[in-house]
Amino acid sequence: MAPSNDEDLALSRRAAAGDSAAFAMLVEKHERALRGFLARTFGPDVADDVAQEAFLKAWRAAGQYDGRARYSTWLTRIAWRCRIDALRKERAHPPADDHEAHAAAPSLEVDDMLARLSENERASLVLCEGHGWTHVEAAELLGLPLGTLKSTVARAKTRCRAMWEGAEHG
Amino acid sequence: MADEFDRFLVSALAPRDRDPDRKFVTRVQAHIALEDRLAAQQRALAAGLVKQLLGLFIIAAAVWWLGRAAPVVIWFAESPALALGILLTAFVFLVGILSFPQDRRINS
Repeated sequence: MAPSNDEDLALSRRAAAGDSAAFAMLVEKHERALRGFLARTFGPDVADDVAQEAFLKAWRAAGQYDGRARYSTWLTRIAWRCRIDALRKERAHPPADDHEAHAAAPSLEVDDMLARLSENERASLVLCEGHGWTHVEAAELLGLPLGTLKSTVARAKTRCRAMWEGAEHG
Repeated sequence: MADEFDRFLVSALAPRDRDPDRKFVTRVQAHIALEDRLAAQQRALAAGLVKQLLGLFIIAAAVWWLGRAAPVVIWFAESPALALGILLTAFVFLVGILSFPQDRRINS
């Protein structure tokens, strides 16, 4: 088990025993990466709501974290399920524009590229290229076979490269 | 070997380097506190309901048991309206006591 898992496991166990200060430390430690991933994948307008819901669920399920996976992986899995559930509920009333808020993000170029990818492509690219996740971890999160995940990342990267080269960098 | 695009992609997709967002942490903590409070209230309501139902059952059982006693049966036969009136008054009075919230009972 990695040392960072030990620290998170200890904090999570304290949280499971009702120590909200310990859980606040976990939120403080992981909110940046989680919100970053969610903002890149689903857009910044929904990222904070999903992240907040994920942290609430993580608080309720704190006793279930066993330290085998990284805490960030466990947390992102919760957030991913939250988003899937929300999308199921939204199906009856679909939002006007999925990535409208991306225009307000600082790095317009990469957000434009991501907006043209599918949700799975975005998620796998952000996790594997930007957040240092292994292909196995990302495949597990997205519920994809490892080979499919690898080809999804490669395809997303190729499409982004084409867009990047097609712009001023070509 | 990583080319310019690879470096661009990794740096663009990596989580932004910033301090923890204290406002967000506080918001999550506030939600947790609110949820815990609501859960505690729900538990207290459920416990109160169970207590009240149990109390009502005990009263009903006591009334039924009293009603079977020989003097009461005779009394009922002689003046049923008065007996029923007294029984109903007692029942309503006890139900009132049971329904009154415990904390207000203590404070009053």
